[in-house]
Amino acid sequence: MTIRGVSWRLAVWPYRTIWPTRDGWWCLVAALGLGFGAINTGTNLLYLLVCMLLGLIVVSGILSERSLRGLRFTAVVPDDVFAGRPAPLCARVVNRKRWSTSYSVTIEALGPDGAETRVYLPRLLSGEERLVTWETTFAARGPHPFPAIRISTKFPFGLFLKAGHVPLRAEILVFPSVSGLGPELRRTVGTAAPAGIRRRGRGHDLYNLRDYRPGDDPRLIHWRSSAKTGALTVRELEAETAVDTRLVLEGRSGDADAVERGLSRAASFVVHLIRAGAAVELLGPGVFVPLGRGLAHQRRLLTALALWTPAAAGPARGGPRSSIREIRVRLG
Amino acid sequence: MSAPLALRVATHLMVLDGVVALFLGGLLGAVGALVVSAAVAASWWHEPVRDRIAAMPRGSQAIVVLVALASAFDILYVAETMLDGLVRLLVFLLVYRLFMRRTLRDTRDAGFLSFFMLVAAAPLTLSVAFFFVLLAFLVLGIWTLMLYHILAEAERATKPRELPGLGRSLLVLSLVASAATIAATAVFFFVIPRVGQAALPLRSQVGRMVSGFSDRVEMGAFGEIETDSAVVMRVHPAPGTPGPGPLGTLRWRGIAFDHFDGRAWTARDPQRANLGRSRYGQFEVSWFRGLGPMAAYEVYLEPLGTDILFAAPRVLRLGVRTDTIVVDDMGSISVSTPSARLQYVVQSELERPDFAERAEHRELLDAAALTRYLQLPPLPPRIRALAQEVTAGSRDEVAAARRLTDFLSTRFRYTRVLERQTPLDPVEEFLFVRRSGNCEYFAAALAVMLRSVGIPARVVNGFQRGEWNPYGHYFMVRLSDAHSWVEAHLAGRWRTLDPSPRGEPELAAGPSVITLYLDALRMRWYRYVIDWSLQDQVAAAFKVRQATLMWRPRLAAAARGWGDARPILAVLVVAVTVGAVVFWSRGHRGTVRRAGARTPPFYARALKTLARRGLRPEPGETAREFSLRVVQRLPGCASPLGRLTSEYERVRFGAAAIGPETLAELDRFVGQLRTSSRHS
Repeated sequence: MTIRGVSWRLAVWPYRTIWPTRDGWWCLVAALGLGFGAINTGTNLLYLLVCMLLGLIVVSGILSERSLRGLRFTAVVPDDVFAGRPAPLCARVVNRKRWSTSYSVTIEALGPDGAETRVYLPRLLSGEERLVTWETTFAARGPHPFPAIRISTKFPFGLFLKAGHVPLRAEILVFPSVSGLGPELRRTVGTAAPAGIRRRGRGHDLYNLRDYRPGDDPRLIHWRSSAKTGALTVRELEAETAVDTRLVLEGRSGDADAVERGLSRAASFVVHLIRAGAAVELLGPGVFVPLGRGLAHQRRLLTALALWTPAAAGPARGGPRSSIREIRVRLG
Repeated sequence: MSAPLALRVATHLMVLDGVVALFLGGLLGAVGALVVSAAVAASWWHEPVRDRIAAMPRGSQAIVVLVALASAFDILYVAETMLDGLVRLLVFLLVYRLFMRRTLRDTRDAGFLSFFMLVAAAPLTLSVAFFFVLLAFLVLGIWTLMLYHILAEAERATKPRELPGLGRSLLVLSLVASAATIAATAVFFFVIPRVGQAALPLRSQVGRMVSGFSDRVEMGAFGEIETDSAVVMRVHPAPGTPGPGPLGTLRWRGIAFDHFDGRAWTARDPQRANLGRSRYGQFEVSWFRGLGPMAAYEVYLEPLGTDILFAAPRVLRLGVRTDTIVVDDMGSISVSTPSARLQYVVQSELERPDFAERAEHRELLDAAALTRYLQLPPLPPRIRALAQEVTAGSRDEVAAARRLTDFLSTRFRYTRVLERQTPLDPVEEFLFVRRSGNCEYFAAALAVMLRSVGIPARVVNGFQRGEWNPYGHYFMVRLSDAHSWVEAHLAGRWRTLDPSPRGEPELAAGPSVITLYLDALRMRWYRYVIDWSLQDQVAAAFKVRQATLMWRPRLAAAARGWGDARPILAVLVVAVTVGAVVFWSRGHRGTVRRAGARTPPFYARALKTLARRGLRPEPGETAREFSLRVVQRLPGCASPLGRLTSEYERVRFGAAAIGPETLAELDRFVGQLRTSSRHS
């Protein structure tokens, strides 16, 4: 059977699971009991009631299928997804049926961590579109499939739960996890600037203490000095300085965890440096991203780190080396 | 109307519908039905009662225990049948639930319980009104279930704010669902095999006792029923049987009487025989003689409190759902289930009106039979004298019988006023004083006069033909059509003689069109629902098969380009209609964006190559996972596929542009992949 054939069959007869609810079991038991009564008494009106229950079951199947059929899901992938951090995922659901409304549809998204998110749509008119959002956390970097979506309904009578899986052919690239740099590392990155450019700014290190002025951020009040002097004193912070940096990935080991830790550290440097306004170049086994700055460049760097695999690593690629600061990150 | 209010209304209506069903089934009397309906209506304002009961310490438990005890006592000692006791318990539970309801589920449960009212009534009613009760229940039930489902799910999802405006569209959908359920019910009903053996008969339908059809009938017994217009019998002629025109004088023969004591006719010691089914499944009552036209028809007989089967004389063959029938030597047929409503099919050889028969078909009566059919009580001499006077000069007994019949039908007047005016015998008073009477007097007078001139005769009670219902194509026989006539043994055969002027088809204004329509509906209800049987299913299947076989050559002929092209045209019309519906229901394609980015051409070619080997990406599988899976199966593809996957990821996620050199290199990798996949 060809791919086209499979698609056609799935379009006509999609995979569904169906299971009676508690009320559904009662309905089935009632139909069975009535059927027994009808056979034993030969009463056609009892047969009629049994057939009515069977008819209800059939119509329930048709209407529930009608509710689920014609719903099209489109994955909406966020730009930056980092390993270990909750990421907002979206799926756009459209009722593509020309006339009929979809009633009582529950959308369940199952994240890679097993967490389940349920969204209930009482009604989706023909042509109507809804954005369904949920949060999920990816544990590891690299390309991941978009989390599976399960649609289900108990419509119309609440007798049966019909469910189906919606294949979403979308991939999410998860960047390595990023953590804040420790003070020492930050100082290493930040104090590497030439002397004489130390200035007031929005960094982390202390630049000066001065008297409080209205409008100052209360979080910057230096309480110890205030207590000593008897007047409110606030901290002034030093502007972070950034210099163009080459991140060099080096060293290889068979320890996958060590590799991941190294990549995570490199990603943290990338985010910190780009945010500080530095230009960053990435050089490593089988990977080279030329010098650049800005958010688009940050994405290029993080993509390269997310896709890096020890198997694909070769000799360090790259153009002529410029004389810029180098930060070496060991992969194991 | 808000959704919860609509649910409440629908549930209450369902319960009232169930009460009507119990009334139809005879499980609730008129007063009981009114009381229960009032209680159901009162439960609309249930909060004060509920709160008062809830405030009582263990109030609800006490009520339940009391009711359980009362119900047990009722079922054991009071109730006529266990079903009656259970129904009373059900009614209590339902009303109690309505009064004590707190949640949506309680309301819905009341609707569920009302279904069992229909179940209880179903075996006990045959009324077509049950059909309308069922329809109403279905529509209300579907509406209730849908509303409850949406409300409950929304409540669970804590999003009730999205419900306003839902009601109307849901109502339309529920009506569509009701229509679909009715259609599905009909299909199931007609197809599910009837294998019922009636092993657990419930309370049977007891019909009204109608005088005139027992072994002894007093003169004037028909008087009270001749004004009753209730339909008691519906006779549906089979295809090929003449309609109302040719069957103008048809009568439905019931019971024959041979003994007259001056005031009452009795069937005295008739020779009765049990008759079993033939190997064809029918009862062979008598032999076909080829002397008259044939008639086949189906009879639906309401309970009359008699075991007599009514049919047009002379009955040849009879099909009825019973193991045996009883046939007496006067041609009366009876069954052993007098209280049940009967449906049977009959084939009769009708009598020729001209009495022209060949001599070899004559049957002579023996001495005992002659004594039996010439029996007379002591009669005033003037009755015999009158009979002789009327028949004087007749060339044979046939002519004498005709003269007597004509004499009575022309000189006497038909009336339903049967007040006695003298202490004389009824027949004498009819012939010489009142000179008017109903069909019983005419028949009795003719039988007595025939016997007094030596012609064997007997009186027969049955029904006249009835009105023809053109909407249902059947005869509608009412109680007022009850009739008496005479059978005389003339020229070696029992002949029907009807001296009553009422024996002629009446030309009075018939029932209204609406009455005829309603009765036709009732007839179809009996025919296709109440009496639908395994035989009917077999016959229907046979008809479908025949129709299919008939269409096959017509289709073949149409396909060859000659003959009737209508079948092909019909198929084309259906195909075009279905295609149009499918096309128009495909929906809003333009509003949907494509999921994901476009696959780069080099990777698409690689996927196509692998698809030829049966390797396709599964839903939810990343390119990297797919690559690993392929390499496990085709290890030779590892190098080119790894590179292609890596470049694909760069393009896909990094939106990296590919230069011409890289593209050429990737094309080489695709070629390598093709070669490797062939040799792996």
